[in-house]
Amino acid sequence: MNELRLGPILIRNRLLIALYNFVESRLGIKEIFDLEIFYKLAPSHLGIFSCFGGITFFLFILQIITGTLLLVYYVPTTAHAYDSVVHITNNIPFGWLIRGFHHWGANLMIITVFIHMGKIYFHGIYKNPRELNWITGMVLLMTTLSFSFTGYLLPWTQLSYWATVVGTEIPSAVPVIGDYIKFLLRGGTDISQVTLTRFFAVHIMVLPAAIVIFIGMHILMIRRQGISGPL
Amino acid sequence: MNRISEDIIKEEISGGSRRSFLNISILISSAVVLGGIIYPVLKFLFPTATTVGMGEIETFSMSINEIPVGSAKIVRYKNRPAIVIRLKEQEIYALSAICTHLGCIVKWQEDKKELFCPCHAGRFDLYGNVLGGPPPKPLSVYKAVVEEDRILIKEV
Repeated sequence: MNELRLGPILIRNRLLIALYNFVESRLGIKEIFDLEIFYKLAPSHLGIFSCFGGITFFLFILQIITGTLLLVYYVPTTAHAYDSVVHITNNIPFGWLIRGFHHWGANLMIITVFIHMGKIYFHGIYKNPRELNWITGMVLLMTTLSFSFTGYLLPWTQLSYWATVVGTEIPSAVPVIGDYIKFLLRGGTDISQVTLTRFFAVHIMVLPAAIVIFIGMHILMIRRQGISGPL
Repeated sequence: MNRISEDIIKEEISGGSRRSFLNISILISSAVVLGGIIYPVLKFLFPTATTVGMGEIETFSMSINEIPVGSAKIVRYKNRPAIVIRLKEQEIYALSAICTHLGCIVKWQEDKKELFCPCHAGRFDLYGNVLGGPPPKPLSVYKAVVEEDRILIKEV
């Protein structure tokens, strides 16, 4: 066998074919590649604004990689958070680069995610049958904004401290439960080590798990439904 | 050979070399891009002298009053744990505190006048020699001298 067709992919490399045959004979994975979601036909009407979902996804992958690298040196304590961020930026080789990617990637991700949403909204793509995808998109938007909010506190600068003071003050305007939400977010009456620790936990554990699940649903749905027609 | 088949052969040859040229170009540019990603990441992860503060101090000094007679103290000598034992008033011993078996920290047993490793029951005397247990090598011994009220530790 000189070539192998897996769904839309054609493989000619003999080593890859041998590897595939090894797995196929044990697990029987051929049917998976025949699934319709692997056949992506890009319609000719797509323009630059159709790319912003994919650009956001790319930036998200970048955030995972650079975030994991920053995690190696970052110290989530009020005494050392700022020092460790300065240490990463000034002393660690290429630390400025990794942190710069994480910082600018985060900012760009907010911009691209809103352009993506605007395109979907103004072209009416959210309408039947894509309402569920719009809803997962809204969850992803909230998750992305939560990433920004929690990540902003982590360097423990004056800017991040007071931004968190203001940001956690906002929900206290909600009638009846507002003060409880503020108390829950801060983990106390003030911004303290407890706040930093829970923002850190949410930023590196809770939100990544949530966003991966919803990105998976978002992409599977668009693959299932296909890209919408022209305006 | 007629004109047409000659043209086909020419086209196949030029097409083939163009294909291999493009393949090699893609391979090289991918390697450059990948290298440009992997190199900074490895540099970022690999500890350097400035990031861990590994400046070596050749001599170590401490006050003799920090250790009561008959007891011992674990100190940091050349960024590694060392044990300083004050056997008598002016009789000081200094050894590496890292057990040669699997790297645990040895402790001083005043009643037996021995160093004991709590991990796998290795035993050493004051000169670092193995008295029993699994350690394969003796402990490194340092030179400890008393000058006025200070203990100085140096390499032998």
